[in-house]
Amino acid sequence: MKKIEICCIIDDDPIFVYGTKRIIKEVNFANSIIVYNNGKDALDGLMKLCIANEPLPDVIFLDLNMPILNGWEFLDEFKNCKSPLSKKIVIYIISSSVDPRDLERVKNYEQVDTYILKPITPDDLGKILGATVES
Amino acid sequence: MKTLAVDFLLKESPNAIAIVDTKLNFINYSNEWHDRFSLGNTDYVNKNLFESIIETPDFFKKAISNGINGEEHINTGQKFILPDGTLQWLKWKIIPSKVENQGFDGAIIFLDDITEEQKEIELLHKAEEVARIGCWELDLLNNTVYWTKTTKEIHEVDQDFVPNLEEGINFYKEGVHRDKISYLVSNAIAEGKSFDTELIIITAKGREVWVCAKGEVEILNGKAVRLIGTFQDIDERKKIELAHQEISERLKMTSQTAQIGTWNYNLTENNLDWDDEMYRIFDIEKFNFSGAFEAWSSTIHTDDLKRVLTATENAINGIKDFDEEYRIIHKNGTIRHIKGLSKTINDINGTAVKMTGANWDITELRSTEIKLAESTKSFTETFEHSSIGMALVSPDLNWLKANKSLCKSLGYSENELLKISSNDITHPDDLPGSRYFKKKVIEGDTINLQFQKRYFHKNGNIVHAIIGATPVKDINGNISHIIIQFLDITERIESQKKLEALVDVTKSQNESLTNFAHIVSHNLRSHSTNMVMLTKFLNKEKDDEERQNIHRMITSATESLSETIAHLNDVVQIKTGTLENLQSISVINTINHITKSINGLLEDKEAQLKIDICKTHFVNAVPAYLESIFLNILTNALKYSSEKRTPIIKITSHIEEQLMVISFTDNGQGIDLKRHGDKIFGMYKTFHKHKDAKGIGLFITKNQIESMSGSINIESKVDKGTKIIIKLKQG
Repeated sequence: MKKIEICCIIDDDPIFVYGTKRIIKEVNFANSIIVYNNGKDALDGLMKLCIANEPLPDVIFLDLNMPILNGWEFLDEFKNCKSPLSKKIVIYIISSSVDPRDLERVKNYEQVDTYILKPITPDDLGKILGATVES
Repeated sequence: MKTLAVDFLLKESPNAIAIVDTKLNFINYSNEWHDRFSLGNTDYVNKNLFESIIETPDFFKKAISNGINGEEHINTGQKFILPDGTLQWLKWKIIPSKVENQGFDGAIIFLDDITEEQKEIELLHKAEEVARIGCWELDLLNNTVYWTKTTKEIHEVDQDFVPNLEEGINFYKEGVHRDKISYLVSNAIAEGKSFDTELIIITAKGREVWVCAKGEVEILNGKAVRLIGTFQDIDERKKIELAHQEISERLKMTSQTAQIGTWNYNLTENNLDWDDEMYRIFDIEKFNFSGAFEAWSSTIHTDDLKRVLTATENAINGIKDFDEEYRIIHKNGTIRHIKGLSKTINDINGTAVKMTGANWDITELRSTEIKLAESTKSFTETFEHSSIGMALVSPDLNWLKANKSLCKSLGYSENELLKISSNDITHPDDLPGSRYFKKKVIEGDTINLQFQKRYFHKNGNIVHAIIGATPVKDINGNISHIIIQFLDITERIESQKKLEALVDVTKSQNESLTNFAHIVSHNLRSHSTNMVMLTKFLNKEKDDEERQNIHRMITSATESLSETIAHLNDVVQIKTGTLENLQSISVINTINHITKSINGLLEDKEAQLKIDICKTHFVNAVPAYLESIFLNILTNALKYSSEKRTPIIKITSHIEEQLMVISFTDNGQGIDLKRHGDKIFGMYKTFHKHKDAKGIGLFITKNQIESMSGSINIESKVDKGTKIIIKLKQG
């Protein structure tokens, strides 16, 4: 099975980041992993990569509840600076929220592929890999 | 020539004759002369004529003087007035007497007093002129026509006009008039029938005149020889007659149309004469009506009979003309209301002989009046006792009448209201609406308009009312007044407001509960899933170092979970039973207490506090909450102070709309409210990169304030500072 080149995790919870990284390695999901602790850091970091002409991630795992710039705000900002980021990045929202309002709101963002409820499992990663490779 | 026989004849002549000589001395005279024209009884022979004669005109004297000189003179009638004013007519003939070859020796005078005859003729002419009656004559033997002066005047022709038969006929107006006179005249000639007719002639000046022409026939040997007759101007009388006829016709028509019956009652013969309308009104067949007084009185309702008979009695006796309303009963038993008027006519001695009068049926009017009275009564009762306010106002909105209910709603007595205008007690914001409403009402395009507006109660409170208005027009179509219905909905509005407030509170509580539930679920889930995940890893992990790392993380997750549960507990406690624990607390004391407790932190940051709070300012609050609120705000101000400057925190208080307003102004980092404004007081929302930021403080603060019926607001500019404003009830 073909791997994903770069996977990006945006989450403020160190335990979740630890667990996700561990599962990614277990199922051999991606070659490298970038971690940002909130939306603001992620935006700044991704812009920096873009300017330095370094490779951008193929997949982003985005948390919703974060300080400074939350998942929604990140999505709004990310949409605006999409043009310089020419590469197609698939975003997965990974959240603990079972609030139906959040599930509804996701539909407004076309760059979001799926809403995945925490915790993320090896099965989830397998499905993503399959979908990404097929496309 | 003087002979006895001649003398005798002269003396006995029935005419007055005198013979005089050239000196005007009497030679002889007839007895008639002596009797009628002499002044005395003596013999006047050889005496001068003028010494013995009655007064005569100069004209006569002159004629005699001329007569003795051979001039014959005849006068057929001379009118003159005597010195005493009496009128005299004389007629004379003077013949000069001639002696052969010796010239004239005197004159023979015939004198006649024709005063009486002339007077008669003159009177006749006068009468003819005054009565405008002329005469005419048609002589069938000579075929000539004669018209008298008046006849000519009526025809408006000159006095020298000489008519003939054809011309005379042609004066009559063409058509029936001319045809009729032609027929009458020829009938008179052929059959000897006299006539008497009234026809129109067209005078010579072109005027139409009504004339009365009468003709009599004189027959000789069975044949008409002459028609004589009168010709009278009856224009004025005829026109009056025709006008009268027209008026009578019109009156008849009017009384038929108006259904007014008229009657005549002959008192002496007890005979009642009705016109057709009367039979209709009283529902009596003409042939069944006896024509007696009782025929009428028997129709009258027994309850009214006595009164009507008394009124009739009074009318006959001249006390009062009959003017009564009474009921009659028709054959089929229906009762009709009748109005009757009459006049009593007296004879020359003042005795009542006749009554004449009119009757008409006023049943419809009566029932309309009764209905109107009933409707007025029911309106008045409704007006007075209606549970909704009712009023009559003038077109310029002055109160004309107000019922109890309205007075109660507005707090004014009716008399007080009548002195002011509706606008005087209308809420100023509703005046434009009121004016528009009034315009609509007066235009009257739509009836029963409604309008909701506010009035001021006498005590100053606002009264909410729904106004219904119906304009009432007078007979000329102008608005005389407006009926106002006033539905006091103040209580409804008040309770609606309360209900709305309650719904708002419920809604916000519901919302906050839903949020809270999701927050709880989210936070508990995130910790628990972490723990599940870590436990799985731990089971698989063989490396000791990594196992210790996982252990550490499990411990951290457990702590986070318990911390979250503690926060939730705090929030739940705020939500329950706050209002029972409120008490009056001094603002300044609480501030002092808090600043003392964070003294170390203040010194550490080298922060300055500027406190400007009045000692008399108290709030109604739960002491622990108030401390927690102040502490939270102050520590936030210090936690997010700017590194570029010394922190300065101003704390002030003032009273605004009966609420205590406490403000905390700092010069710290500030916060982008455009971006974060909607979640600033949310749970677990953090906006700064601060290690202690947990996003729980302001959430709890807001909940505490709201549980004490207060409010919190924030104003902020990035890198300038933040102002937090708290409003609480005064203690």
